[in-house]
Amino acid sequence: MQKQVLSVTAVLLMSLMTFCFPAISLAQEIDILIKEGHVIDAKNKIDAVMDVAIANGKILRVAPGIPVNNAKKVIQADGLYVTPGLIDLHTHVFVGSNPGFADGFSSVSPDDITFKAGITTVVDAGTSGWKNFPVFKSQVIERSQTRILAFLNIAGSGMTGFPSEEDLNDMDARMTSLVIQQYPEIIVGVKIGHYRGDEWTPFDRALEAGRKAGVPLLVECHLPGLPLEEILKKLRPGDIHTHSFCVASDRTCLLDDDGRVRPYVLEARDKGVRFDVGHGGGMFHFSVAVPALKQGLLPNSFGSDLHRFSMNSGMKNMLDIMSKYLNMGMSIEDIVFRATWNSALSIKREDLGQLSEGAVADLAVLRVNKGNFGFIDAGGNRLKGDRRIDAELTIRAGRIVWDQNGISAPDWNTK
Amino acid sequence: MFLLKKFNFLTGYVPASILFLFYFLIISVTLQSQTVDILLKGGHVIDPKNKIDAQMDVAIKDGKISGVALAIPETSARKVIDVHGLYVTPGLIDMHVHAFHGTDPGAYIANGWDALPPDGFTFRAGVTTVVDAGSAGWRNFRTFKSQTIDRSQTRILAFLNIVGEGMTGRFEEQDVTDMNPVMTANMITRLYPGILVGIKSAHYWGDFTQVDRAVEAGRLADVPVMVDFGEHNPPLPIEELFMKHLRPGDIWTHTYANAPGDREVPVDENGKVKPFIFEAQKRGIIFDVGHGGGAFHWKQAIPSVKQGFIADVISSDLHIGSMNGGMKDMSNLLSKFLNMGLSLQDVILRATWKPATVIKRPDLGSLGVGSDADIAVFSLHTGNYGFLDVRGTKMKGTQKLEAELTIRAGKIVWDLNGIGAPDWNAVP
Repeated sequence: MQKQVLSVTAVLLMSLMTFCFPAISLAQEIDILIKEGHVIDAKNKIDAVMDVAIANGKILRVAPGIPVNNAKKVIQADGLYVTPGLIDLHTHVFVGSNPGFADGFSSVSPDDITFKAGITTVVDAGTSGWKNFPVFKSQVIERSQTRILAFLNIAGSGMTGFPSEEDLNDMDARMTSLVIQQYPEIIVGVKIGHYRGDEWTPFDRALEAGRKAGVPLLVECHLPGLPLEEILKKLRPGDIHTHSFCVASDRTCLLDDDGRVRPYVLEARDKGVRFDVGHGGGMFHFSVAVPALKQGLLPNSFGSDLHRFSMNSGMKNMLDIMSKYLNMGMSIEDIVFRATWNSALSIKREDLGQLSEGAVADLAVLRVNKGNFGFIDAGGNRLKGDRRIDAELTIRAGRIVWDQNGISAPDWNTK
Repeated sequence: MFLLKKFNFLTGYVPASILFLFYFLIISVTLQSQTVDILLKGGHVIDPKNKIDAQMDVAIKDGKISGVALAIPETSARKVIDVHGLYVTPGLIDMHVHAFHGTDPGAYIANGWDALPPDGFTFRAGVTTVVDAGSAGWRNFRTFKSQTIDRSQTRILAFLNIVGEGMTGRFEEQDVTDMNPVMTANMITRLYPGILVGIKSAHYWGDFTQVDRAVEAGRLADVPVMVDFGEHNPPLPIEELFMKHLRPGDIWTHTYANAPGDREVPVDENGKVKPFIFEAQKRGIIFDVGHGGGAFHWKQAIPSVKQGFIADVISSDLHIGSMNGGMKDMSNLLSKFLNMGLSLQDVILRATWKPATVIKRPDLGSLGVGSDADIAVFSLHTGNYGFLDVRGTKMKGTQKLEAELTIRAGKIVWDLNGIGAPDWNAVP
């Protein structure tokens, strides 16, 4: 007991000292120093071999030649890429024991998948609505190590399936905007996903909720009654269109029959509408993505559309999607930009997706493996490739949460 | 294998080539008349039960293994997957997981957040069957079944906890009045004999009472007992547990844990395996790895393996506390044992046929013709790798298994590199 009192006093004293004398804490120790990795930090325009120092869960410094003598732990990362923790903009993580997605078994606990893929932040794509967001928050968000942000579904109970998602009475723009404003740290936007009718009411209410709360709208486009051209016209700069590169029965493809990106899609892009991948189990096809990339329609983010029925399919995790784009011809720097800083911009969270001094220490250390690989799309078709991105190490708020090969660990017989 | 055995037996009488041709013809005729759904061509098959360790083809039809033989003709198959250079094994059995995921506030593993729906961890590691290690007891098993087992693609079997409430929490798990051998045995024999394969005793702070009740239930239901022994202060003697309380065929899990304050360990302070451990293994006590987040230490595992004390079964103890740590998944665990010096064949045995026999499910863990087509295809990579234990220390290694393809009941449920897929620009 006495010991405990002593240690509590010590902790108090230490935090007081840290609080009062920031100069001391700066000169003090580095918790983790990642040496000589190739740092890609798009926000800060860094694309070079550098060291990254982490202290107290934050980025302390990014610079070449940071001395190792102040570091408690040194991790050698030569030959590896050091990037901000990846952001998966499109997931379904409101896992629970009911059937379906909202509070359901079709969602996935993010920690099962994220850290092994270098992801430190996921954004839930409207699995909950204003009515059940508090359950989502206490049941999953607060229990997960992954940072979970969310788009709030315009349907008040979120993704409860057909037909309950068709209920216009359950789409309340004001309530949606009020709950968004109640949780500004977590909720980053509104989502409209599934609606089979041909009236614009749900869509307009979602837009209205977004306007009221000052957040973007994520359009998931299972909206067979609403023409794509009109949808894109209604979207504001900064709104997000997901499932962008697929062939699906309930929506218009972004390419026309001759494989050209439709002009109104390019107009929307030029206006500032953002395009997310949203791969999922059925929503990414090379036959669309490859021509789109060639014609300059690039995804702003690599949202995976993670859920129980996509996780073992052509989509394995977001790194798998990034590897696809790497083999389709995008540069690793551009890919990392879109998976970090550009994704942060889409959700207006400029505190994330970058390695500025003082930013939360969410990092990924990635390896680009060379060999003979293959990647499958949602149609079960393969793209051959010679590179695959793997996560060696993932750090969330300064803590190592994934270490594939023990690069941060001492040998068992020398400790 | 029946083919090779007869082949050897008869070579004295009939020229080998004629005999081979004869069998080949029979096989090809049979296979051509019944179209094969998937043909795995040219892989190195390791099927310990059937003593196959050679390059062979594997044919799948209607969700079952329809043939394992040399040179099965490609013309008979709807889909041919070239697996040259890869290892084809029975789908792995992970004999120790916690899969009773749920949202019960305050619950630990039974219907709780610490357990995991298995599909996110199994197929990508070549696992097709998991055995839940007592997350549920007889009172809440039905919830486990409807909520997780019936909804998962992975085959989920289970040890039923001797505690009626299962692993609701350490506190509840001490309730001796909730350890009912008759109710436990009845649920196994009368209600779910196809799913429940044994009984679990775990996390008990008292004397041998819990183990004894579990063994009593095990006798009543004729199933093995798995014991997670520990948390006694001071630790109870494991020699007494192995020699007096458990029966041959009963299982001790967390074999290579190193927490001498809580549980007696097999390797003493001088790095020697205690002699009675070998006697216990001889007596038929089954040693299970149950790696978990706190139960696998290089300090125990490496000296044990060097001195010939090798766990009978390699299993993960999958739960949220192990999934992102040193454990990761079964392919990582098998790689650890490979790099400690076990042969690939031995490692595969300990994650397929061996656990199948321990849980008395001879229908699983092999590639026998007629059995469910649960199959894993692995790459064996060479390079510089590291493997973590739960203490956060590393053993370096040069070999790593990776699951290329996993098939569950004839369906492809994992294809890492699209070896089972056509090229996108070759499809009309």
